[in-house]
Amino acid sequence: MFRKILIANRGEIALRVMRGCRELGISTVAVYSDADRAALHVLEADEAYRLGPAPATESYLRGDLILEVAQRSGAQAIHPGYGFLSENASFAEACEQAGVKFIGPTAAAMRALGSKTRARQAADAAGMPRTPGSVTGLASLDEAYAVAAEIGYPVMLKAAAGGGGKGMRAVFSKKELGTAFTSAASEAERAFGSGEVYLEKLIERPRHIEIQILADEHGNCVSLGERECSVQRRHQKVIEEAPSAFVDEELRRRMGEAAVRLAKSAGYTNAGTVEFLVDEDHNFYFLEMNTRLQVEHPVTELVTGHDLVHLQIRIAQGEVLPFKQEEIRLRGHAMECRVYAEDPDNGFFPSPGKITRLLQPGGPGIREDSGIYEGWVVPLDYDPMLSKLIAYAPTRDAAIARLLRALDEYVIGGIRSNLGLFRRILHDADFQAARIDTGYLDRLLAGNGEAAESEDADSETVATIAAAVFESMRPANGNGRNAAANHSEDSAWKRTARREGLRA
Amino acid sequence: MKLQIEAGGELHEIELERGETAGQYRVSVDGVSSTDVEAYLLRPGVLSLHTGGKAYRCVLEESAEGAVIHLAGKRHPYRVDDPRSLKSRRSRHAGTDGPKSVTASMPGRVVRVLAKVGDLVEAHQGIVVIEAMKMQNELKSPKAGKVVQVRAEPGDTVVAGDVLAVIE
Repeated sequence: MFRKILIANRGEIALRVMRGCRELGISTVAVYSDADRAALHVLEADEAYRLGPAPATESYLRGDLILEVAQRSGAQAIHPGYGFLSENASFAEACEQAGVKFIGPTAAAMRALGSKTRARQAADAAGMPRTPGSVTGLASLDEAYAVAAEIGYPVMLKAAAGGGGKGMRAVFSKKELGTAFTSAASEAERAFGSGEVYLEKLIERPRHIEIQILADEHGNCVSLGERECSVQRRHQKVIEEAPSAFVDEELRRRMGEAAVRLAKSAGYTNAGTVEFLVDEDHNFYFLEMNTRLQVEHPVTELVTGHDLVHLQIRIAQGEVLPFKQEEIRLRGHAMECRVYAEDPDNGFFPSPGKITRLLQPGGPGIREDSGIYEGWVVPLDYDPMLSKLIAYAPTRDAAIARLLRALDEYVIGGIRSNLGLFRRILHDADFQAARIDTGYLDRLLAGNGEAAESEDADSETVATIAAAVFESMRPANGNGRNAAANHSEDSAWKRTARREGLRA
Repeated sequence: MKLQIEAGGELHEIELERGETAGQYRVSVDGVSSTDVEAYLLRPGVLSLHTGGKAYRCVLEESAEGAVIHLAGKRHPYRVDDPRSLKSRRSRHAGTDGPKSVTASMPGRVVRVLAKVGDLVEAHQGIVVIEAMKMQNELKSPKAGKVVQVRAEPGDTVVAGDVLAVIE
């Protein structure tokens, strides 16, 4: 049994894993970069060790330093979270050699499924449907022309080592293929250190639906239902939900069985996700496998009632899966919003900086996995995700209503966030009717969305009156509000002190 | 107390008259309506406001960009036109005359400087590129003119509001 686990990550996922550890009576070790000394995961851990300077390559990606900390602190296992080293087979291998358990699949399974071309070969071997196209990297442009001619346009060029939409190009005709091939390959080379690209048939208006699997080290593997993640912007998920409104019992069973088959064929262990594209006729095509815990795992936890982090730890300890496939039941509906420090009104530019005001939602059916607090300065060195706001309710409609209610309670001040974007999506008739596909959000954003949220005169007046009341409470000085704004925290404290009569 | 507040693209004149008990105000907006308001500051920036038989939670946000009231999930940016403040008067009469600065719209690191002192630039021409959270943002010239100052170098860390270049 593990007594101590090192969490090789930061932000909300580090906290989420620590909570799981604590619930199992396991003590936690945090690691941090210089930019994160004041981060919540450092505050909440039982032990915390500095890795190095802010850039991830000098801190959170330094597997050697992290292993050293694990050995120095006596941690028996490392949970990698998502991103950073979570899908790095060499790191998993180094852990194995150092005698520290990596909470995730083996390096061999990761290698077999981590590269998209190798995963496509594994899909073929497991007899699961995938999009038509190549299963090895394209050696030349001529080969690309040949494959495209065979499967027919439109096609997608994708990086074998890819993720997050990098090295990816939709190609609609032969004359576009040449430039797309060169630019996708060079983008992939820059982003992943490998310029290997392959071609697949472009599925029109697909839904992104993925299957969560869990496999123990004794040959048992189950699927825990699907998540629909069709609401995306630039191939990045924005809202995820479980179950999918589009998936019926029969499709769920078929997709689940295919995912389990793939995992078993690669000797996969621990938690993983098999991603599919699903077309309008309920055909599903294997997309890729993510060999780690995913950002959106909470929606699966809520509808299955199982704690995935607990299960990951128990599997890594060598325990047998505590349930069988037929014991897994989905109940209710869960939906997650990824809250980012970015400005939807200004081209989604990142908005790092100090969180001067924070009011977080709560109440029935609301879960928030966050890594932020009032007064924290969101560093500009990492991913802009602040928090995940998740609602759980008996039905999809009720989950939407809960999220909208929670969004009204939520205030993040000092930096810009995408909270307003969620309000817009959740109020949209197409979203409410689950008429979504991976192009849905881009179409919504391209439309005249300004009209969707009309200003009502009453609240405008109340806001103006509130502004005046706040202004009247400011200490009088000759510089007006500009000076006060620059020292807002300071003056706020003075203001309170004065009101309380504590001092002059 | 009289205040000029710019909100929702309009300039409003607000008159606040304190009532007898703490937190009571008589408010008139643009001289026409007169409303009774009761307000209580729960903690810095969080105001419970009662008016017209309704209760509101008003949250004040302040940043380098300015002040915003959060009300029922919506942001209401505002600006006080303080006759005593030279700065607000100057920005009210903003035009294209005189020197204009290129300011950082977000905190980040300077990755490229696209113009040097003496360059003639067009309006909206990129001057400085800053990067934050793996995203790059090109800061553009507010007017056509000559670059008279460049205060940024690649690698510099900047905060929102920093002046990075001046165009005359």
